[in-house]
Amino acid sequence: MAGDEFRLRLCCGKRGRLRFLSHLEYSHAFERGARRAAIPYSVTKGFSPHMKAAFGPALPVGTQGLREYIDVWLTRYVAAETVLAALGQALPGDLAPTEAGYAAAKEPSLGAACTIGVYEVRVEGGDVAQDIVSRALDDVVGAGVWQVEHKGKTKVFDLAESLPKEMDVRSTGEAEVVVGVTTRMGQGGSLRPDSLVSHALSRAGVAGAVTLVTRLDTLIETEEGTFRRPI
Amino acid sequence: MSSVWERVEPLLGTVERPARYLNSEWNAVHKDATEYRVALMYPDAYEIGMANQAIAILYERLNAIPGVSAERVFVPWVDMIERMRSAAVGLFTLESSVLVRDVDLLGITLPYELTYTNILEALDLAGLPVRADQRDETHPLVVGGGPCVFNPEPVAPFFDAFLIGEGEQAVAEIVSAHREALAGGLSRPDTLARIACIDGVYVPSLHEPGSAGRGVRVTKRVVDDMDACRGPLCPVVPYMDVVHDRVAVEVLRGCTRGCRFCQAGMVYRPVRERSADTVVRDVLEGLRCTGYDEVSLTSLSTTDHSQLEEVLRRLTRRLEGTGVTVSLPSLRADAFGVEMARLVAGAGRKSGLTLAPEAGTQRLRDVINKNVTEEDLLSAVESAFRSGWRRVKLYFMLGLPTETDDDVRGIGDLTAKVLRAARDVTPADQRGSVRVAVSVSTLVPKAHTPFQWQGQIPREEIERRQAVLRESMPRKGVDLSWHDADVSLLEAVLARSGREAADGIEAAWRAGARFDAWTERFDLAVWREAFSSAGMDIDAMAHRSYEREDVLPWGHITSGVAEDYLWAEYERALAGEATPDCSFEACTGCGVCGPAGLGVDMVLGGERRGR
Ligand code: SF4
Repeated sequence: MAGDEFRLRLCCGKRGRLRFLSHLEYSHAFERGARRAAIPYSVTKGFSPHMKAAFGPALPVGTQGLREYIDVWLTRYVAAETVLAALGQALPGDLAPTEAGYAAAKEPSLGAACTIGVYEVRVEGGDVAQDIVSRALDDVVGAGVWQVEHKGKTKVFDLAESLPKEMDVRSTGEAEVVVGVTTRMGQGGSLRPDSLVSHALSRAGVAGAVTLVTRLDTLIETEEGTFRRPI
Repeated sequence: MSSVWERVEPLLGTVERPARYLNSEWNAVHKDATEYRVALMYPDAYEIGMANQAIAILYERLNAIPGVSAERVFVPWVDMIERMRSAAVGLFTLESSVLVRDVDLLGITLPYELTYTNILEALDLAGLPVRADQRDETHPLVVGGGPCVFNPEPVAPFFDAFLIGEGEQAVAEIVSAHREALAGGLSRPDTLARIACIDGVYVPSLHEPGSAGRGVRVTKRVVDDMDACRGPLCPVVPYMDVVHDRVAVEVLRGCTRGCRFCQAGMVYRPVRERSADTVVRDVLEGLRCTGYDEVSLTSLSTTDHSQLEEVLRRLTRRLEGTGVTVSLPSLRADAFGVEMARLVAGAGRKSGLTLAPEAGTQRLRDVINKNVTEEDLLSAVESAFRSGWRRVKLYFMLGLPTETDDDVRGIGDLTAKVLRAARDVTPADQRGSVRVAVSVSTLVPKAHTPFQWQGQIPREEIERRQAVLRESMPRKGVDLSWHDADVSLLEAVLARSGREAADGIEAAWRAGARFDAWTERFDLAVWREAFSSAGMDIDAMAHRSYEREDVLPWGHITSGVAEDYLWAEYERALAGEATPDCSFEACTGCGVCGPAGLGVDMVLGGERRGR
């Protein structure tokens, strides 16, 4: 059945004030935009037919995403640029796609393939400074594992596994830094970079708070251990 | 006028469902050049208010006026209210995040009595005095509209004016009169006197309660041609899940079946159908510009539309293969033929099957003028279950005039028959999934209905009849649910009281009542205490009856249906005599149509059949 369908992969976003959408709201907004754009989307068979689309790893409410991926199946081939333009007209700017390309039918799903998230966490407040925040983060990483209680469940992250790259801290203004965090999702779930940074701050007694979290990129880890973009 | 968005945004990280406050939804209107700003408020949370058609219609119409911008306002959820109060951020409009206290006109729809405390909460959060007599020229004009304004008295002290009836045409007149008053520098009382001259506008400060003869008399506004008043074609598409999350196309207005408990059926007369062509056109247009995958054909009685079959057939053809479904808000037993069942099933079987016999015996159905026989009901159930439905929901009411315990037990008997009929036509291997949901509420007598003179039955009596009903219900295959009797009691108080009730409402709000329509937040004890502190007994008020010669608190507001007609209907009810539907048979003389009435007439697209 999938053979006669065309799997178009889009790089969209959940930017600006629309970062406050939940994953469900974000996916509905995309689907409604796709219907407005009148692209020839496929419809699932069955009792309640709906648009055939699949989304990459979800972002929490409030976290911005600059490169979020969506696969949508089309009933016929349409040039990727044409779909891109139509969706650009039919979606709010904060969600609109910036890139599109066809993906092979056999490729694993976005949800399974995209295991790497590249984040920026902005921290502001009282004694926030580059060296202080760096030291606080080093202490946490030095501990090796990080245990999080969430909704009554305990998650334990092996930080060497969950953080495939070293974190970097940049000063971006008076009492303001940006922490670059790259995470790897594993069996134990995905580590929330803002929680990790907040944990480091409170552990070190630093007065400051996370004010904005942005996922800059969502990547696929290849068998060779390198990272690549899904399109 | 500046946006407060920068002060709102930092609050959003820690509140539930921030999508309520984002604005920037698809089709939201942002006008730059604005000389006159209207805030349109629905007095409940975003996800409830976004389903409201009146707000959507007025939003589109007001924004079409040059120099005027209309923006939406909903009541922030309690967590956001707290954040806003501690950050000293006032209630703001969604589109441009301006403070509500800075707009020119605040229009509030009154959808339901239990939203009244939310109105006070919103006014207060906006930084406005809740009482109109405390407000002046520096404050927006606060105008109410919607279903509850047919008895505006309980909330009259909080409003500068009300618009009674349909707003499509009247809102532009109010706005233009207010703009002139502002340009002329008129005082608040002079402005109100001018606005009071507009047909359908009621200014409570110009009316002395209880003086039907000496005070003003206000007749509702009514639109004469529904095809000329197109609904909102491109309504705002919310991000968050809201109730009725779909395109809604109004197919007709008014219902003259004449159920004697039903306020909507009395106050929205006469029946005006939209033609099949405009309905089909608006459905397709609405789907195109919203991207929804569902459309609902709305009205008080969609299956009565004389061209409904044609509409459904055309839509089924046009929407084939798109995954878009068509739903009807409720399916009526008597008009729900086999053909209709097949068409709706073909267009996507999303509609739940709900039937409202309301009473358990034919005698009592005649009293309330619910012209549905047991055979109608059972054959509708059979045809639906033959077409694949496996669930049906039945609505009943307790506390109807002349009701006896036999009538109450009749509800259980009828339910048992429905269950049996449904099972009989269902293939044996699927019988296990057949369910009948039974929802029972207590009659809330409403203003402008034949039951307006009658009080609600006392609280203990409600409980006793509920026990009788529970005994009579089949044990298996039935899900029985109750509309909370405490809620019905308060509804009864607020629906038929006079201006004195405003003190009780304000006291309840000051004692913390808000979002009363949300079951988990409703507490009758707070209301009982508040009313008693204002010198009133809530139970006695719910139970109070009026005499024929009494001046009713809402006597100065007319829907066009003559009070004599309502009284005659009341007497026919007590005598158990039914009155036919004038859209199927001859005029029954309610007084709405023609030059002697409101100057409008019934509009049908074809002949109505199926009775
Ligand atoms: S005046 Fe007659 S035709 Fe018109 S709504 Fe009333 S009963 Fe019906």
